[in-house]
Amino acid sequence: MGSEAIIVFFLAGVVLVAGANFLSNLISPKSDNPQKREPYESGMTTIGPTWVQFKVGYYLFAILFLIFDVEVAFLVPWAVVFGEMGSIALVEILIFLFILGLGLAYAWKKGALKWE
Amino acid sequence: MEKVIFYLLAIIMVASAIASVSSRRMLRSVVYLLFVLIGAAGLYFLMDYNFLAAIQLTVYAGGIVVLIIFSVLLIQHIEMELEIAKSSRRWFSALLCLMGLSIFLGTIYSHPFAVAETTSTTTVAEIGRALLSFEKGGFILPFEVISILLLAAMIGAITIAKGGKEIKQEVPESLDIDKILQDAKQQAEEKVMELESSTKN
Repeated sequence: MGSEAIIVFFLAGVVLVAGANFLSNLISPKSDNPQKREPYESGMTTIGPTWVQFKVGYYLFAILFLIFDVEVAFLVPWAVVFGEMGSIALVEILIFLFILGLGLAYAWKKGALKWE
Repeated sequence: MEKVIFYLLAIIMVASAIASVSSRRMLRSVVYLLFVLIGAAGLYFLMDYNFLAAIQLTVYAGGIVVLIIFSVLLIQHIEMELEIAKSSRRWFSALLCLMGLSIFLGTIYSHPFAVAETTSTTTVAEIGRALLSFEKGGFILPFEVISILLLAAMIGAITIAKGGKEIKQEVPESLDIDKILQDAKQQAEEKVMELESSTKN
C-alpha cells in the first residue's frame, strides 16, 4: 500500500505541475512589446548587470545557520526520548546547549551577528 | 513496487547529477545538486533510515546547499557562463571518470550481496536512547563532544570571516552609485550653464 501511494503521489505531482504549466501556456493570451520587458513602467532604466556581488557578511550568517541546523538535528532524537528519560536527559541536553550557547555568546561578542 | 520507487529516484538523481555537472551556469548547477541530495534522502526513506533521511534533508539539502549558493553569489561575475574545456582535457577527464567507474563497478560486482533475512530498522527513539545513555554502550560522551566540535567550527568560521581586518568589497565602476550620481550632477550643471548662456544671448 505504502509504495503505491508514493508512486501515485509522485505521478500526481508531475502531472499537476506539468499540466498547469501546459494549460496556462495554451490558454493565456500573449503579448510582447518593448514596454512589457521593462522592469518598471516608469522610472530610470537600470544600469549595469542585474547580478551584483553579495555582501561577504551573508556567508557568516550561512555558516552560523548551518551549525545551529546540525544542532537541531541532534535535538530531535533527544526530544523523542525526553518523556521516558526525564530529568537526566534534561541535564544532558542543558550541557549540550550550554556549550553551544558559548559559541553564540562568542559570535555576539565578536560582532558576528551585527549587520554592517 | 519498491523497485519502481527506487528507479524513479535513481533516474531523478542521475539526470540531476548529469545536469549539475554539464550546466554552464553555476547557480543552476547548485539547484540540480539540490535535487540529487533530495533524491538521496528519498533513498534513505526507502530503506527505512528515517533519521538519516531527516538529517540529509535538513543538513545537506537545507544547510549545505544554502552555503554553496552563498559562495556562488559571492562571485562577482556570476552571469558569466563557464567556458567549455579543451577537447584534450575533456578526453582526459572522461578517461579518469571511466577508470573510477570501473573500480567502483569491480568492487560492487566482486562483493557477494545477499538479501538480509531479518530486516530491522533503527528508530529515532533508539538513536535518542543510545545517544543519551551513560551506561555501557551509551554515547553520551560523543554526544557532548559533538557540541564542542560545533563550537570549534563556529569559532573557526567567525575568526576566519571576521579576522580582525575589515574585508573590503570591490565595487565595479559601473555600479559605484556615488560616482554615477556625481557624473549625473556634473552633467546637469553643465546643461544648466549652457541653457543660461543661451538664454542670455
